[in-house]
Amino acid sequence: MPRTPYTRPVLAGLTALTLAAPGAAAAQWSAGSEDSSWGVDVSLILEGIYFNELSHGNDSPAGFGDGHDHGHDHGHDHDHGFDDGFNMGHSELALNAQLGDLFDGVLILGFDDSDIEVEEAYLTTRALPGGFQVKAGKFLSNIGYINSRHPHDWDFVKRPLVNEYLFGDHGLHDTGVQATWIAPAEMYTQLGVELLQGDQDEGIAAFDSDLPVSSKSGPRVATAFAKFGPDLGADHAVQFGVSGGYVAQTGLAEEHGDHAHGLEGDAWFAGLDAVYKYSSGRAYGHGDWNLKGEYFYMRQSLDQYEGHEHHDHMDWERAGSLATKQDGLYLEGVYGFAPRWEAGLRTEALGLTNDAVEGSHHHGHDYFEVESMGTSYRHSAQVTFRPVEPVFLRAQLSQNDFVDDHGHRDRGLEFMLQLNVALGAHGAHRF
Amino acid sequence: MSWRKTRIRITRTLATLASVVFLALLLLPSQAAAGLNIVATTSTLGALAREIGGDEAEVRVLAPPDRDAHYLDARPSFMAALRRADMLLEIGAGLEEGWLPAAQRGANNRAINSGQPGHFRSADMIELRRSITLDGPNMGHVHEEGNPHFNADPLRMAQIATALGERMGQLSPDHAAAFMERAERAADRLRNHAETLAEKVAPDQRIVVYHEDLDYLEEWLPVEIVGYLEPAPGIPPTARHLRSLVSDLEGTEGTILYAEFQPPRGAEFLERNLGWSSHAVPLDPPADSSLDGYLDLMTTWAQTLPQR
Repeated sequence: MPRTPYTRPVLAGLTALTLAAPGAAAAQWSAGSEDSSWGVDVSLILEGIYFNELSHGNDSPAGFGDGHDHGHDHGHDHDHGFDDGFNMGHSELALNAQLGDLFDGVLILGFDDSDIEVEEAYLTTRALPGGFQVKAGKFLSNIGYINSRHPHDWDFVKRPLVNEYLFGDHGLHDTGVQATWIAPAEMYTQLGVELLQGDQDEGIAAFDSDLPVSSKSGPRVATAFAKFGPDLGADHAVQFGVSGGYVAQTGLAEEHGDHAHGLEGDAWFAGLDAVYKYSSGRAYGHGDWNLKGEYFYMRQSLDQYEGHEHHDHMDWERAGSLATKQDGLYLEGVYGFAPRWEAGLRTEALGLTNDAVEGSHHHGHDYFEVESMGTSYRHSAQVTFRPVEPVFLRAQLSQNDFVDDHGHRDRGLEFMLQLNVALGAHGAHRF
Repeated sequence: MSWRKTRIRITRTLATLASVVFLALLLLPSQAAAGLNIVATTSTLGALAREIGGDEAEVRVLAPPDRDAHYLDARPSFMAALRRADMLLEIGAGLEEGWLPAAQRGANNRAINSGQPGHFRSADMIELRRSITLDGPNMGHVHEEGNPHFNADPLRMAQIATALGERMGQLSPDHAAAFMERAERAADRLRNHAETLAEKVAPDQRIVVYHEDLDYLEEWLPVEIVGYLEPAPGIPPTARHLRSLVSDLEGTEGTILYAEFQPPRGAEFLERNLGWSSHAVPLDPPADSSLDGYLDLMTTWAQTLPQR
């Protein structure tokens, strides 16, 4: 799907629809003023993590390190890499307000001890007819399952590898517009599309402005997703999702003094996700099960450029093309083994298919090539205690089994202790 | 480039597929049933709506009656039901706050938004008892509006029935008279049954309950709550708290009541140490009940107590 001249009118149309439709049918009826759900709800989520690296393995998985995933470890302070000892973790201040029943506004600030970042700032329509809803602003994309969830909602301390390395440290998280539609059907059926600016530091949509190719104007990322949830009665609940996206421009550049090389092209990705929850009906989550898994696959078609410095500027020439293929998955299960206690296991694989970009050096000449690399794994086990509703304490052990770019496999073991407290009007959780 | 062609072909195929799915879903016989499509969070509210709606309403209950309605997931099936609903009937006052707002938001249905006539919040129609969550240390949910477990009070349910009949009539003016008549009749039956049952219970009963979910029994039965098995709302019974309950209540007479989904161990400990009888009771009638189901439940509650 190349970027077309329609994008802008479509965006403008969506925005107009968002603003006009509910306005036309403005609240002709109002509830008792005592309804407390109309003000601003504030919630504060504080997290602390004690981290201990018991043994050191490879730092990053092959094919996802300094290749195309450029900038991943580069001076990005908010990267959730933990130091040995005490860490601030990932804390959030969330504000949530309603404009009548027309819009919900959400602002979520994420912070640690050095940074504050606007994680989400968006409006959601509440009053469009026909089962439609439009979200506009900066938000977490609804692709997959974990991507749209905030860390305090996860069952494990760290973001799954597949989400982190395909989409970045915050997942696919961007400014744009989302439209969803819920079918008026017995089975829950949600269809959605998103147009996103593509302003990413990391992952599949990252683009390095040093490249000779001019940056395409946004939106550069388009996604689509569908979610299905049949009704399985009181004990069981399940949701299946399929999602994918097209990235109109991705690329990276590397400078080596008087010469440089870079890659520019487009990419697409597709994935499946499923979540199953069993509710035992006993108090405090005792006997409940929660299973989920996701798989994502991505391909990039890239043109290679070589640059030579000439009179203080870089002369670039195109030098062939490359195609990458990479994927990853995780599966996790959590069981409530006692009232207020849970234990969980997660297994992850990254690069089951791993035809990735690799920087090469040959005859005094730097260039990129595609190489088939090995698969990296991570296995985690956790125990969580929830003494009272808004607090959890989690101990997690993770074994990183990463293969490096040269095929060497090295295992590392990490221990994490996470304390997470939600204060204030903490909103309802999605399924 | 053949890859571009392939991609265009794939895009076209996908677009066709998507339109077919879209049309198929649009043309589904979505609401075969005539009348109001009502989604109630609890089966007590569902029973009222069924009684009032008769054949002119289709009622679906979300919370399984044998589960704690505080702690549910915002399931996809809930959103599918709310998407098609003309009316959402909730308890409010924080009972469903952990899941209903998410399900409501995810349903993309304006008719049931807060502030719309299709959103009926029962707690707005009555006076609530003060919640004991306001007393203790702030742990877990605090019900500032009041105790949301008024489903245990048939007198308040009678008030709600009247308000509900009126609201249903606004949504479906053709049936307004029938709804109002059935609502009044339901309210009368609730009040009469409450009176009949209360007269049979021996006077001045003392009860210990698990959570504040049976506090409203005090409103219509000759009972007094003399203790809670939970040391604080939402915290499971501790040995220390149970021992202090036993020492406070030793030598007195009473009954222990708790919900079927609550762990029985605290109640059993008290039963052993105080010689009181303990009873696990449902808090809501079966999911498909009409008013009779709720009246039977009232009888169950009243008959756990010593009778005259």
